[in-house]
Amino acid sequence: MKRYDLIVVGAGPSGLSAAIEAAKKGLKVVVFDENEKPGGQLFKQIHKFFGSKEHRAKVRGFVIGQQLLDEADEAGVKVVLNATVIGLYQDKEVVVKLGGEVVHYKGDAVIIATGAAENMVTFPGWTLPGVIGAGAAQTMMNLHGVLPGKRVLMLGSGNVGLVVSFQLEQCGCEVVALVDAAPRVGGYGVHAAKVARTGVPFYLSHTIVEAEGDECVTGVTIAEVDSSFKFIPGTEKHFDVDTICLAVGLSPMSQLLKMAGCKMEDNPKRGGQVPISDSYGQTSVPGIFVAGDVSGIEEASSAMIEGRMAGNVAAEYLGYIEKDALKEELDTLDKALDGLRQGMFAPSNRGKLIEKTDEGIEVSQSLLKNGYIADEEIERFPGVVRKVGVHPVIECTQNIPCNPCQDACKKGCISIGKNITSLPIVVDGSECINCGMCVANCSGQAIFLVDEDKGDGSAEITLPYEFLPLPEEGTKGFGLGRDGKVVCEAVVTKCRSSKAFDKTHLLTIKVPKEYAMKARFFKVS
Amino acid sequence: MNSVNDRTRDIGPFVPGPDDDMLICRCEEITKGEIRQAVHDGMWTLTEIRRYLRTGMGLCQGQTCSKLVKGIVARELGVSPAELEPATSRVPMRPIEMRVFANEADSNKEGE
Amino acid sequence: MKTSAEVVIVGGGIIGCATAYYLAKRGVDVIVLEGSDHIGNGGSSRNGGGVRQSGRDVRELPLVMYGIKNLWPTLSEELEVDCEYHQDGNLRLGKNDKHKAILTKLANNAKGVGLDVRMIDGDEVRQINPYLSREVTCASWCPTDGHANPLTTTLGFYKMARRLGVTFISGEPVKELRVIRGKIRKVITPNNVYEGENVLVAAGLDSREILTTVGIDIPMTNSLLECLVTEAQPHMFDQMLGTAEADFYGHQTKHGSFVFGGSSGLERYNKDNGMVSNSAMTAPCICRGIMKYFPDLADAKIVRTWAGWMDASQDGVPALGTVDEIPGLFVACAFNGHGFGIAPAVGDQLAELIVTGKTKVDLGDLHYDRYKAKI
Repeated sequence: MKRYDLIVVGAGPSGLSAAIEAAKKGLKVVVFDENEKPGGQLFKQIHKFFGSKEHRAKVRGFVIGQQLLDEADEAGVKVVLNATVIGLYQDKEVVVKLGGEVVHYKGDAVIIATGAAENMVTFPGWTLPGVIGAGAAQTMMNLHGVLPGKRVLMLGSGNVGLVVSFQLEQCGCEVVALVDAAPRVGGYGVHAAKVARTGVPFYLSHTIVEAEGDECVTGVTIAEVDSSFKFIPGTEKHFDVDTICLAVGLSPMSQLLKMAGCKMEDNPKRGGQVPISDSYGQTSVPGIFVAGDVSGIEEASSAMIEGRMAGNVAAEYLGYIEKDALKEELDTLDKALDGLRQGMFAPSNRGKLIEKTDEGIEVSQSLLKNGYIADEEIERFPGVVRKVGVHPVIECTQNIPCNPCQDACKKGCISIGKNITSLPIVVDGSECINCGMCVANCSGQAIFLVDEDKGDGSAEITLPYEFLPLPEEGTKGFGLGRDGKVVCEAVVTKCRSSKAFDKTHLLTIKVPKEYAMKARFFKVS
Repeated sequence: MNSVNDRTRDIGPFVPGPDDDMLICRCEEITKGEIRQAVHDGMWTLTEIRRYLRTGMGLCQGQTCSKLVKGIVARELGVSPAELEPATSRVPMRPIEMRVFANEADSNKEGE
Repeated sequence: MKTSAEVVIVGGGIIGCATAYYLAKRGVDVIVLEGSDHIGNGGSSRNGGGVRQSGRDVRELPLVMYGIKNLWPTLSEELEVDCEYHQDGNLRLGKNDKHKAILTKLANNAKGVGLDVRMIDGDEVRQINPYLSREVTCASWCPTDGHANPLTTTLGFYKMARRLGVTFISGEPVKELRVIRGKIRKVITPNNVYEGENVLVAAGLDSREILTTVGIDIPMTNSLLECLVTEAQPHMFDQMLGTAEADFYGHQTKHGSFVFGGSSGLERYNKDNGMVSNSAMTAPCICRGIMKYFPDLADAKIVRTWAGWMDASQDGVPALGTVDEIPGLFVACAFNGHGFGIAPAVGDQLAELIVTGKTKVDLGDLHYDRYKAKI
């Protein structure tokens, strides 16, 4: 039978990372993926990633996907696409459907990196055409160039719901509401804020009563729920929509592991049924490893590190590296993973209500309830200062592991310090040169350059802008507040694009000076 | 896991619900009411539910509904969903034409 | 929790469930102990659904004929579940003279005990089932055979027995039986000790190990059989099918899917990984077998395959009835992969045996003590 040192199932972030590490250590590696394109979910992630440099922060997901593919190619990994693994049989036999035949392979080691599938929720009408997963919507938009709908309601305020809502807007869909049964926004505040400021209303403690329509979705009714998730009569709200997107979590696709006889557990913290494995992916069956979402739902950055861990462990298992070398690799990777698993959204904090930041500042309640920071709350955060002349205003208010902003400013205006989850501060006495790099490099689109008083009663605000067409200089419109509501008239004074900004455009608008700390988005009139 | 499960334990009567006619397993068109009734007929494990009603036995093999069914059964039994073991996973992971499954590549041939 | 009853049944498969149901109908107090987590978790929910008489050993034929005549026709109504019973005949297919000889011998044996089964030629086969390829040159045809849904039937017996007050306890693997004062009495699991005036061991292959604890040995070994099911197809035919070569058997279900079983020839040597998992070789082999007979099914998609352990006895027929040496002990095992169709009759007659000491159908040929050396 055809045999490889290592067979990896799934060419997503964790599978490719595992394959690269193993191949670099000398293993003969093949990766099978059922899709026609490699990269897993990375190729539909058009937003910039969080983290630090080692986590490839501020790089867009699909670019990371391409980088991984190039590295895999260089390392001699064989990536086979349109290759559906139909079974993981006994004795680590992997049976793959390739075109019109099935091929049997044996792996001395097997890494399962099959990722996750979207969860569904039920409500009357949930089976109507037009009710789709948010991930499906993302695939339609970003991989196939198909608009999922025109008027969309998003259910779910986790990062997937927030990111996809923003992308729907970028595609020209109207997101009429972002709804979540939970009382607080689940995803990063900066993701929520960038959606809210475009005018999407948030309905927390709400969920779908019913999807309406005969042949397909024509409308939806939501209502408020009480603390035991029961509908409160009289709180119903109706929207005309053609699409309902569900972003209600993911479940590991762990079936192959169960089939192979790996010991499994049902672990709600990991998103469902997962193999019992040690922290480097070794399952109960020697030589079968896991990495990425299939072993517990997290995100792409940690999946890549888990993949690298599993690749190294497999290399040691097969004698390609010594125990000492493995330990060294794992120590480094442990640190990288710890770096990501810090802050308010760390796995250990899941389900906990956090009221204060590490700095002791009260968390914005409006951000959690409405998706935006209230005007009266914003100035208590250390990135928001008032100064004469152009200066950065950093509306980053939660402790998340991310620091590209401090590297972006060559003038040293922004500092996060040693702890990657600390809130960024504007360094005293630093001088901003209005280069805009911080605005473009902030993955959360939370940095603005503000000149509060131009001397003529106006202020200038430079904001990150990722919508097309780009407004030209002189375009008249409105400044929108953090809540997405019109606060003032505004005119575009500049629109900067540059390779260094990586497709984030810098829009400078002029507003009456009393709105310098209020207007955060621009809408053409 | 093999834990003692006395099927005479009282789980209360079947109470019809307003959303009993809602489809849960789309492939096999099984409703919430049918699932709830099956629990009261004694089908206390997800495997039994699946064998009795065909939930999760269609083209998607439970990818969409298995978590939903689990939630419904758990609620009916008054246990946490995590206590219910998911049904077994079977080859093939994706539906495969008989002619393709039958067509095994020569395992001695070099190539892929 | 209830731990004693008039009858304790070891094994919650279709035999145990059916016997419990027919006992409860006769007013008997019963406990059923199932070793796994699920009712009907062995061959009962892993078989191909045949309800046939043809092709069986004459020793078990009267029993299965009794069931097909008296029990199967009304079973769905009785169990309040759709057993999907179809009595549209069984075609046992042959492709050459050797096959014809095998089939003719089986048919003649069955005729001897009064079964309507006859040999037909290839053309007549295709009149009955026009989808069969020209390779088929003969078949035995038994019009009173059929098929049903093993899952709903097994769980239907369970549901009704439970409704009639039978206590079912799963997750209770029986490890030991104990004779007390010359009679069977105790049934011991790792968790509890149960007591019954009568004990029926109907635990498939595990029956051997359990019976050994009271010094009874039924010569059985295991064999891993496999099945597969396609996605739903338009309705094609209603007969049950088998072959002289035993390369596949199966039928189209009410749902539209085809359920086929088959073999690779390695069944006796197959192993599992604790999941009763398939061999990577078998399903492709079954597919090749089916396509030779049904070229039209080549594009049907297979959605699932599964495996199950068969309890194969030395002579291919069950061990069934009273264990004379141990008063109160009964056995029902070694069904050799065709225990489903016969199960209602087994349950009914065992219940009668336990209650009255007599049966309508003579079980003498299936006695547990029949195994002898060859010379």
